[in-house]
Amino acid sequence: MTQGTIARPAPARSAVVPIRPHRWWRDPWRKPRILQTVTWAYLVWSLVPLTIAIAISFNGSRSNSVLHGFSLQWWWSDPEDSLWHDPELHAALFQSLRLGITTVVIAVPLGVAFALGIDRWHGRPATGATFLMLLSFVLPEIVLGISLFLVFQHLLKFIELGTTAQILGLVTYQISYPFIIVRARLLTIGRQYEEAATDLGARPRQAIRRVLLPLLYPAIFASAALVFADTIDDFVTVKYLSGPATSEPLSVKIYNFTRAEPTPAVNAAATFLLLTTTFAIVLGYFAYRRATRGQRTGGVSDFANV
Amino acid sequence: MQKASEPTRRSRRRADRVAREGIQYPRWYWPSFALPGILWLLILFVLPLYTVVSIAFGTVDPIFRGPLPVYQPWWWSGEHFGETLGKVFGIFEPVYVHTFVYVVVASAVCLVLGYAVAYYVARFGGRHKGLLLVLLISPFWISYLMRMLAWINLLDNDGYINRFLMFVHLVNHPIGWLEGRPLTVIMGLVYGYIPYMILPLFGFLDRIDASLLESGRDLGGSPLSTFWRVTLPLSKPGILAGVIIVSLPMFGDYYTNNLLSGSPRTTMIGNLIDEAYSTTGQGGEMASLVIILMVLLIVPMLYYLRSTRRTAEAT
Amino acid sequence: MASDARWAHELSRRDFLKRTAGAAVAIPAAAEILAACTKPGTTSSTGSLPYQIARPDKPVTLPMNGDPIPSDTPIEQGAELQILNWSQYMWKYVLNQFVESQQDNGITFTAPSTFQNMDEGVAKLQAGQKADVFFPTIDVMGKLVAADLLQPLNHDLIPALQKDNWKTFQNPYYDQGWRYSVPYTIYTTGIGYRRDHIPDDVIHGMDNPWEILWDPQYSGKVGAYPSYRDVMGIVLMKNGITDMNTSKASDLETVRKDLLALTEDVDVRISYSGAYAKLPKDVFWLMTAWSGDMVAGWGYAPPYTEQAYENIGYWFPADRKGPVDNDLIAIPKNAENPALGHAFINFWLEYQHAMDNFSWNGYQPPQNQADVSSLTTTEGLFSEISNWAAPAMYVSPWMPDAVVRQEDFDVGYRQGPLTPDVDDQWHAVWEEFVAGAKS
Repeated sequence: MTQGTIARPAPARSAVVPIRPHRWWRDPWRKPRILQTVTWAYLVWSLVPLTIAIAISFNGSRSNSVLHGFSLQWWWSDPEDSLWHDPELHAALFQSLRLGITTVVIAVPLGVAFALGIDRWHGRPATGATFLMLLSFVLPEIVLGISLFLVFQHLLKFIELGTTAQILGLVTYQISYPFIIVRARLLTIGRQYEEAATDLGARPRQAIRRVLLPLLYPAIFASAALVFADTIDDFVTVKYLSGPATSEPLSVKIYNFTRAEPTPAVNAAATFLLLTTTFAIVLGYFAYRRATRGQRTGGVSDFANV
Repeated sequence: MQKASEPTRRSRRRADRVAREGIQYPRWYWPSFALPGILWLLILFVLPLYTVVSIAFGTVDPIFRGPLPVYQPWWWSGEHFGETLGKVFGIFEPVYVHTFVYVVVASAVCLVLGYAVAYYVARFGGRHKGLLLVLLISPFWISYLMRMLAWINLLDNDGYINRFLMFVHLVNHPIGWLEGRPLTVIMGLVYGYIPYMILPLFGFLDRIDASLLESGRDLGGSPLSTFWRVTLPLSKPGILAGVIIVSLPMFGDYYTNNLLSGSPRTTMIGNLIDEAYSTTGQGGEMASLVIILMVLLIVPMLYYLRSTRRTAEAT
Repeated sequence: MASDARWAHELSRRDFLKRTAGAAVAIPAAAEILAACTKPGTTSSTGSLPYQIARPDKPVTLPMNGDPIPSDTPIEQGAELQILNWSQYMWKYVLNQFVESQQDNGITFTAPSTFQNMDEGVAKLQAGQKADVFFPTIDVMGKLVAADLLQPLNHDLIPALQKDNWKTFQNPYYDQGWRYSVPYTIYTTGIGYRRDHIPDDVIHGMDNPWEILWDPQYSGKVGAYPSYRDVMGIVLMKNGITDMNTSKASDLETVRKDLLALTEDVDVRISYSGAYAKLPKDVFWLMTAWSGDMVAGWGYAPPYTEQAYENIGYWFPADRKGPVDNDLIAIPKNAENPALGHAFINFWLEYQHAMDNFSWNGYQPPQNQADVSSLTTTEGLFSEISNWAAPAMYVSPWMPDAVVRQEDFDVGYRQGPLTPDVDDQWHAVWEEFVAGAKS
């Protein structure tokens, strides 16, 4: 060891030699302070306004910009305008839930099946179909909403504007989400599991049902959660395809009220919607955990990698 | 009686065939999965788009001036479309110009900010990665309207932002943030769409092999040059996808402007379409505007579609 | 590389067109193809309009497009009441009272379907939306009857019109013999303003108070409704043009220039909620206003003290020569519950209910028993039951211009229907304004 040791002169003063300040940014392994600040600042900017909006739903006064005391009047005491008492908001809430659940039930299986089919099917028709699906993903929603409104008004006249039309429109808009998510997952899975299953004697349908689908559960649940949240939130397509007042979901009501004269009841309605979606997502997450006992790797990061 | 877990003779024969030839699915097998989706899109996506075209090139009913679609291409009349096209280069030109400006600026901000956040969480998330991820995903399930509502509350004349500014004596009177300011609209666009930039970027950056990035440093590069020469080129597909996913819908956005600004000065393309929708006699114009919008977006759309195919084929 | 060449080939234009257009043309529903075999629009009539244009000096009797329901039609049992109306136009309290009064018939009601402007309302009706009552404006009556969208009213089922309401509405110029419509509210269109920033005498003392909306010192503080007839009507008034239905190109050009000047000079804001949100909150100092909006303004002015109410003012020409009009209630042809609709209209035209509704929405009803000179000194029901607000009169005493009298209809200017091509020209001017075009 003496070969490699460089003899150091004994320090004249204390043994602690401070690192010269101007060199800290040259340290390749330092913590990225700037990025860290930016990230946390972004999170604050992104989420703090929401806490204020939620707080305003408990506002003691009619103002929707400044808090004056705490009150549950917008949630249930006010006999006309509160969430609990206003039948308009009830009908709207039920409509939101109805649309959300129906759309998920239709769009997710369609999208997943589409992804499976496209992934394994080669040829020009497959490319065309993919093109169409991705086109529906990137087009601005107003294009879709208006074109569907026009088609229901002029061509497919047997479908009246209202809940049916809204569901058809929403599924069309949302069908690309499960497709993209599941397809991305399929690309990383590859074929080896299916081939292993068939090597062991499974029929094609069994191979899919018992091997492939379980592997896709994170993707399927993630897309179901996303479609549900996005449907409940949707107000563009739904507004163009709405019929009578009862077919206007909460999102459209909130949009209309915000443009007219919003009382904190609007904030209460929006907060309620948020709670519903959160509840649905948590439910979905637990269902996912139950369905994938024994094969999960990470926690939430599973979903980010879909 | 054979136990269920024992291989049957049939399955053994199948297994032998698979071992020899690979899995054989009938030719119609996989396409049949995709068929329902295809039919759905044909009827409820392609057909409506064709109806839009039929209306743009159609006629008008005499009493209510409502649009009448003409489905046969040989009877199409270019009257509405020509008129609208003239307006696009005439009285609507300022609208198209400043929509373009807003979208470019908002997309750029989304990209820079979104990349920084995605990069940080992907590479330096560490112990907090799960929590950070939940916080990043949360805007997806918090409704867009609720998030805009929050800002409308805050930016109101007697909202907290103005109160704060007056408190620190930066201004003396409340600023009308919601009164037709392009800056507010751009901020609204960024706020609304940035999650769509962050999550795909995060997924992409997360998948980049950390050893590739570390090798840059190992070979003596400073963090900045590693970023510039290794990370950035690797993340190009992710950036492209993110920018397209964010900017294309912005072109059709009309509600951000409606909620955050009351002035004709910040009218966007989507507002023109929405206005034409709720005006009698302008059905043909509405359809023409929709077609013009699609044409405007077709090049970036095709670019996105080609690049996703390239990514799909590369993996 | 071969695969590169394949991509480039595959996404070539030909393939793009083939893939999408080919699929699309093949599909239109058979019935529609057959129906569309003749080019639509070519079979339309000649140059004449299927309906008459009504004017005060050329009254119109609308043709009967069927029979009204028989007088002995019972109220439909267990029906759900469907209303199609402007938003914020009917007080929920009175609506609930009506539903309660029909309790024995098991009537239910959730909420009215609403629209933000008449174009949207007509579009919804055309699209087939079912409603038992509809609230049109005068200018669309001819169109609606010609397109068979309204049904004639049975006068026996609506005694309140003859009993309680102004006689003139039993034979209005746009619907002689009140075949299809009854009046809902009456109002004038003037200027709403903040009295704390613009003293009453300033605006009343001007030669042409309409011009105050273009005054650059109020830049950024001026609001306008997204309603083309009303705002363009005000521009016409400002220029001394009294024909609210003008078809003259020179008039429309003047309006166009002045509208664009609104954006240029005062950075005008377009908002539905000027009266509910912007003026009371000091965001707008001036706005185009319907009298009813300003009258109801106190209910939207935190902190709901008399001092807050006093900030809201309304101006209308002293000689009452300005836009004055009324709204209507009608029953659509496709109403599922026409008898209920008639009962609804009758309820709403009764004195007490009309006044109660007035106390909330600010729009005066043409009631015989209402003493117009006492409106500024009487408190309405809404104010009485609102314990979160200081008391307010039907019409606040500092906005006497907002009270509408029968005589106003003799001298005022009315908005009537426009022929479609003139309507298109008006819309074109409006569109240019809304798109923020530079003049």
